[in-house]
Amino acid sequence: MGSPWDGLSQLDVVCDAGPLIHLAEIELLELLSDFKTVFVPVQVWEEAERHRPEALSSAVRLQKVFIEISFDSRFQTLARTLLLDVGEQAALSLMANQPASVLLTDDAAARLAAKALGYRSHGTIGILLRSIRRGLRSQAEISSVLRSLPFRSTLHIRQSFLEAILRELESGPGEG
Amino acid sequence: MATNPESTTLQTEVPVRLLAELQSLVDAGWFHSVDELILDALRRFLDSHREDLMRGLIREDVEWGLRGTD
Repeated sequence: MGSPWDGLSQLDVVCDAGPLIHLAEIELLELLSDFKTVFVPVQVWEEAERHRPEALSSAVRLQKVFIEISFDSRFQTLARTLLLDVGEQAALSLMANQPASVLLTDDAAARLAAKALGYRSHGTIGILLRSIRRGLRSQAEISSVLRSLPFRSTLHIRQSFLEAILRELESGPGEG
Repeated sequence: MATNPESTTLQTEVPVRLLAELQSLVDAGWFHSVDELILDALRRFLDSHREDLMRGLIREDVEWGLRGTD
């Protein structure tokens, strides 16, 4: 595990609706405060506003960004093939302007597209586990949150995957 | 030629020996036809790879979360 406090992260992130909604459901939106800037495309903002408006009214500073969806033919082919929704397309389009950022999304297809376009991407599980490394939450707290995910969140994760994460976490996260 | 408007016809070359093995499963009564067997195999392939994909993404999250540097 990293030191208890490594200072503010220099990492910028582009956020899709999934992590905003899922973190709001488990009341851990504040974990996003650890990123230097959290960019939220307006299309994602509107999606979150429809499904979980409180995700946008927390103390976390989210930077709403107006972005046009890319017309690039390779991008459009990926979007059609992977059936990406407007928010996912907007988030990926924004990534083109700041490729050093990390895309935060819980959608497998969006993560596949990110990989194909050469961008890093992670989901809510990554954000939760990162909070231990960053000294923001204890291992016990995050273990408890992970156990409660099936009841408190609409993030669907196979029970066997969840158990594997918990086993790894509880066997010593810094040992791998 | 596909008769179902939601289907399409896929044409591909397969090794004779592989087709014989498929046919033997049909002959043994496991499937009604080679077409049905191939459809079933494709669905299973997609299902298993979807799971592999999800497992891989979670693996990446665990690595970044617990052992990443940013």
